[in-house]
Amino acid sequence: MIQSIIKRDGRVVLYDQNKIAAAILKALEACGEGDAADAARVANDVQGELESRFHQDAPNIEAIQDTVEKQLMEHGFNAAAKAYILYRANRTRAREANTALMKTIDEITNIDARASDMKRDNANIDGNTAMGSMLQIGAAGAKAYNEMYLLRPEHAKAYREGDIHIHDFDFYSLTTTCCQIDILKLFHGGFSTGHGYLREPQSIQSYAALAAIAIQSNQNDQHGGQSIPNFDYAMAEGVAKTYRKAFSRRLRDAVEDYLDLEDQEEQIASVIREAEEATGETAKLESKPEFLEALAQGLVRQYAVELSLAKKLVRRASIRSAHKTDRDTKQAMEGLVHNLNTMHSRAGAQTPFSSINYGTDTSPEGRMAIRNILLALEAGLGHGETCIFPIHIFKVKEGVNYNEGDPNYDLFRLSMRVSAKRLFPNYTFLDTPFNLQYYVPGRPETEVATMGCRTRVMGNVYDPTRQIAYSRGNLSFTSINLPRLAIESHGDEKLFYEKLQAVLDLVAQQMLDRFEIQASKHIYNFPFLMGQGIWLDSDKLTMQDDLREVLKHGTLSIGFIGLAETLTSLYGGHHGTSEEIQKKGLQIVGFMRDFCDRKSQELKMNFTLLATPAEGLAGRFIRMDKKRYGKIPGVTDREYYTNSFHIPVWQPISAYDKIRLEAPYHALCNAGHISYVELDGDTARNVEAFEAVVRCMHDFGVGYGSINHPVDRDPICGYVGIIGDVCPRCGRHEGEQIPFERVDELRRLYPEMPAFQGIE
Amino acid sequence: MTVKSANEKLGQGVGFERIRRITGYLVGTMDKWNDAKRAEERDRVKHGLSKDA
Repeated sequence: MIQSIIKRDGRVVLYDQNKIAAAILKALEACGEGDAADAARVANDVQGELESRFHQDAPNIEAIQDTVEKQLMEHGFNAAAKAYILYRANRTRAREANTALMKTIDEITNIDARASDMKRDNANIDGNTAMGSMLQIGAAGAKAYNEMYLLRPEHAKAYREGDIHIHDFDFYSLTTTCCQIDILKLFHGGFSTGHGYLREPQSIQSYAALAAIAIQSNQNDQHGGQSIPNFDYAMAEGVAKTYRKAFSRRLRDAVEDYLDLEDQEEQIASVIREAEEATGETAKLESKPEFLEALAQGLVRQYAVELSLAKKLVRRASIRSAHKTDRDTKQAMEGLVHNLNTMHSRAGAQTPFSSINYGTDTSPEGRMAIRNILLALEAGLGHGETCIFPIHIFKVKEGVNYNEGDPNYDLFRLSMRVSAKRLFPNYTFLDTPFNLQYYVPGRPETEVATMGCRTRVMGNVYDPTRQIAYSRGNLSFTSINLPRLAIESHGDEKLFYEKLQAVLDLVAQQMLDRFEIQASKHIYNFPFLMGQGIWLDSDKLTMQDDLREVLKHGTLSIGFIGLAETLTSLYGGHHGTSEEIQKKGLQIVGFMRDFCDRKSQELKMNFTLLATPAEGLAGRFIRMDKKRYGKIPGVTDREYYTNSFHIPVWQPISAYDKIRLEAPYHALCNAGHISYVELDGDTARNVEAFEAVVRCMHDFGVGYGSINHPVDRDPICGYVGIIGDVCPRCGRHEGEQIPFERVDELRRLYPEMPAFQGIE
Repeated sequence: MTVKSANEKLGQGVGFERIRRITGYLVGTMDKWNDAKRAEERDRVKHGLSKDA
């Protein structure tokens, strides 16, 4: 007689035959194979077998479950037996996931991030802080749950085993990736952050401050990077408001000073109002002559002064207000940069992952904003540190800023001087055919903008009348382990394409499953993104509507990594080694793009192809593939797979050839792409050389590019530049100390040197 | 890290900050990078400007 059983954790509990019968009944009912009486019969036989095997001993759970499986089959309940086996396997997986989860949390809790690669998976989250760790623990729990309960088994397997990588998997059931925030639309009439209502801003300082708040607020609704596509156009409005206010104040001061009067505020306001009404113009950085003339006439009428004096007063006011506006704009832009590098988001674990796009607004106000944001970037933070955020993107356009004589050519030149020092801005090229097709002069929303790592959203098969950058973004993306498909095809090209087709189908289905979860959400799940009308058409939703239709303005992106290793595995070399292999590379990426285009047409949803950024992914796939296939030369013999379609970083190649070979992939990867050129520090500091590289990108049809060069800083003397073994300013080696007298000497030469509170 | 040591000197144990583009964006200094990206950064070669470099 069985009295007790041993549970998995070793505890001994009373034997209860009813529990066995209940489990059997569940399996029978699930398959429609039997009823409670059948379940009782099987349970009886299970008990009989256990007694004959174990006599008085306590059987363990595994033995009981083995016996149930066997008895179900002996009774002819084959489908139920199968269901029961599957159920057991699932439970085992869940238990293992639980154990793995506890181990992960243990690592997050106890190990220094410097010693834990897992905690440095995303360099923007500080895994050593309380909030950073809490975020990582939450992410680990969400991932375990999502894999267990939300993924189809075939998708879970492909993800677990590294055939594919589902990005931002911790947010699988919660939100979407990113959005281009049209801050002008947001600001007009004021907005709510979800924690309080803000009135429409009235000065450049408020425009800049609220821009940072908009990014911060949206960062809490989505898991990706947030972006402003129209930074210059929006800031221009703030500059104009500041100028108007400054002008009225300065004109009053001029009149009061010169005519020795007091309290002329009302009189001046009415003189300005009359001039505005008469000419339909306002005071601006470059006011219309007829407006200035009308003002002078108004002063003559009001104060009975000579016209020449009135004109002089107006001119003084104009000049002083322009200076004042420039100073305010400079401070506002510095404030924005400081804010975005220090503000907290996502429970304090990160600063907002932010991008700003600019370069094409040619109005005097827009130009003032662009110049000052570039100067703020160039100056760096308080101790001259290079700003990490926001990502600056300069939009390059012929006729606007690209050629000498273009209205913003001076700003394009300035941007290169700054990028040569601070690594930003990056450049996006509006003349490239795949970008130019959307461009309509005078409609900034048709200018391609990028966000976060490289994401680009323009085409729109769901609503072809809205092929714009504003108010849209990516919904989710999943990347394919391309080199593994090649390795497993053993040089058989046909087999490779069959495998690629299969994994494309699998990824598309997985993203559609994820879309179903996203589509079932409501406005109230996204109080800022949807509640404030940031996302396209979300202002037309009611509280009852789900998000299905409006989300279709977004993109579902299929990414890939390691084209170079894939080509090496299939054809014996990567695309930087022969024109033939370059053609093969374009075929593979073209195949994936065709798949996305077909899927888009079929479902009227925006499937796009992404050149995956691969920060955390750089090592994940190759670690697994090295274990599976060993070290294959040129394929798995390094610690990382090459980023998307890039020529490998270790390949000696000229900047010219690298750009020429990578550019055609930009046209294919419509979800986002970027190419880098690595320059040594001296070349980068040479603006002519820097410009030559940017122009080369423009001419070859690159969509988005940037130039890498070393930026080092000595935190002791504040030197920023290239530091080899020895700091060129203070002469110390890494870790070495310098005497205080030397520090004081240096400070006299470099007043901006960092101060060390409390020790000097 | 000790910034100041007993004999009135500054900088003991303070390293240089090295900022590099990790992928489309920057992150703080490289000590936050994961192992794979660190290896990738080590392997990067500079690109010459002449067409036949």
